[in-house]
Amino acid sequence: MNISDFNIEFDKMINRDYFSDKVHPLREKAFSKFLEIGLPTKKLEDWRFTNLSSISNSSFRISEKQDAPNGDVDISQYQIDDVETIVIYNGHYIETLSSIPSGIQLLTGLDYLEKTNWEFNSPEHSPFDLLNTAFMDSGMSIVVDQNVIVEKPIRLLFISSGSESLMVTPRIHIDLGESSSATFIEDHRGDSNSFFQNGSTFVTLKQNAQLDHIRIQSNSVTTANIVNIQVEQNANSRYTFFQFADGGQLGRLNIYNELKGEGANSDINGLTLSNDSQHLDNHVITDHQMPHCSSSQNFKTVLQDNSSGVFNGRTIVRKDAQKTDSSQSNKNLLLSKSALMNSNPQLEIYADDVKCAHGSSTGALDKDALFYLRSRGLDVLSAKALLVRGFATELLDLVKHDGTRDFIIDRFDSWLAENTTA
Amino acid sequence: MLDIKNLHAGVDGKEILKGLNLSINPGEMHAIMGRNGSGKSTLANVITGREDYTVSKGDILFAGDSILDWSPEARSLAGIFMSFQYPVVIPGVNNTYFLKAALNAKRKHAGKKGLDAAGFLKLIKEKLIEVSMDPKYLQRAVNDGFSGGEKKRNEILQMLTLEPTLAILDETDSGLDIDALKIVADGVNRYRNADRSFLVITHYQRLLKYIEPDFVHVLIDGQIVKSGGKELALELEEKGYNWLES
Repeated sequence: MNISDFNIEFDKMINRDYFSDKVHPLREKAFSKFLEIGLPTKKLEDWRFTNLSSISNSSFRISEKQDAPNGDVDISQYQIDDVETIVIYNGHYIETLSSIPSGIQLLTGLDYLEKTNWEFNSPEHSPFDLLNTAFMDSGMSIVVDQNVIVEKPIRLLFISSGSESLMVTPRIHIDLGESSSATFIEDHRGDSNSFFQNGSTFVTLKQNAQLDHIRIQSNSVTTANIVNIQVEQNANSRYTFFQFADGGQLGRLNIYNELKGEGANSDINGLTLSNDSQHLDNHVITDHQMPHCSSSQNFKTVLQDNSSGVFNGRTIVRKDAQKTDSSQSNKNLLLSKSALMNSNPQLEIYADDVKCAHGSSTGALDKDALFYLRSRGLDVLSAKALLVRGFATELLDLVKHDGTRDFIIDRFDSWLAENTTA
Repeated sequence: MLDIKNLHAGVDGKEILKGLNLSINPGEMHAIMGRNGSGKSTLANVITGREDYTVSKGDILFAGDSILDWSPEARSLAGIFMSFQYPVVIPGVNNTYFLKAALNAKRKHAGKKGLDAAGFLKLIKEKLIEVSMDPKYLQRAVNDGFSGGEKKRNEILQMLTLEPTLAILDETDSGLDIDALKIVADGVNRYRNADRSFLVITHYQRLLKYIEPDFVHVLIDGQIVKSGGKELALELEEKGYNWLES
């Protein structure tokens, strides 16, 4: 996508008769800022190791109504047991395939803006934030009222499919009222040949609210998948995030998590599997702004072939955030000599009474452990697979919902079967 | 059972075993004693097929077959077992899962059906009693958070489960207090029979009080310089190794 491609697509966007022109000024402002900056280059510290050529060297067009499936589609292959599923297919909400969860409000982007009196959150952490505002075309807003406990996980299933080079820009809002709780799953799947998704998710947790957020990035390995997640937490709220990523030619997770109320807690975790020439990137910022908050970041990556990855974790502890308890851990397993991992855990501390731990390690499978298992009669492939499984277990165990965990473990095991070599 | 002939072997280009000969018949308990660096652990690693070690000369026959080209797993499946001096901690791998996978690999090799979860649990519960091990260790990751004594019991538990015909006990007494040592020794003694052979590697005579060897060999600088009965161990305890050095 060069600048003129973006311009052409933006004009189409603005001229759509079914998009509200009330949003146009917001789009135009963001887009003109984007045009000034352009896509990030490797000169920017945060993008130093990220190769964006799969976006910059391709042309994508915005998804049109005809890119939605005509007639029935079979989505049984995307089944996860015991969840409510809302289907977004190539950027289009498919009501007939969706089950609407009860006990919550499900709003379109426009309705959400009306509800929030057009208090529009437009972050500018990276050019992709601006692009999301300029091109937002799908997504959903989930509002949970105070004291409501939503038992069944709500899944947004994003299917990217077909041979057209499409660009889709979902925007999701999750607002949890005081003392409410929910489980939210973003599930990215599909067989698309060429797809660029740039999604933004905004999470707001009121006091004592609790959100389990699971993100599955398992779409085709020809997809570019950028996601920008912003989480704002009030006092004593709890946010847990787990990403399982094995899909995408390029994957980039950006999380900006603000702990804005005392006693808030966040645990941000990810398990990433890459092979061939995939590049999967995880960037997480946890920003402690108030006292007595706790946080953890725990990311692991398993890399095969020529794949590469990044972990860039930053924990900021502001002056007022005394009694912060935080930890950061990044461990990476290289299954091939040509795989490459960049790990960069960082601490930025401005308070004096805090407990902050961080650590990082990257290496091949432990030779001693491998010999130990083989000396007990396990063949090389089984022994290696068992070690990789052991490496990931701690993270897989974090997924509390049975149906989702079963799905992820199946996916993990089939990856392992295909990627374990003698 | 085991025939080692003029074995020369080393690691990182350095020769450690320099023409070692040893023959172990079924039902025999052999002890190898020697100082640090004499080649005791190298011998154990070479017999079990650790890939870092290279054999430059000589042969190892197990039940008549040369095993030098065999993988570690092939040797294990054929009936060779080593209790590790330093059992490896494997985070995230459940001890039960590991033991069951190992046992079923062995059963499959022997043409038997693998045990299901219930069948395995029944079997392992009996073995646990033999080594006085708390069942909670089955639920943990392999050797993760185990004390020195628990790790060694776990090794003996694996031996009892996999039922090898040749068991090599590499410094099994190191890190054990006297109670744990007795438990481990009892486990080994009960396992002894006319078909099973042992190679006990140790620094000290201490372990041999509880596990009585038929033969004791002294290893110095990669060669067996003296062999004798169990009384040789006592003599070594008294005199040390200097008198055997040429």
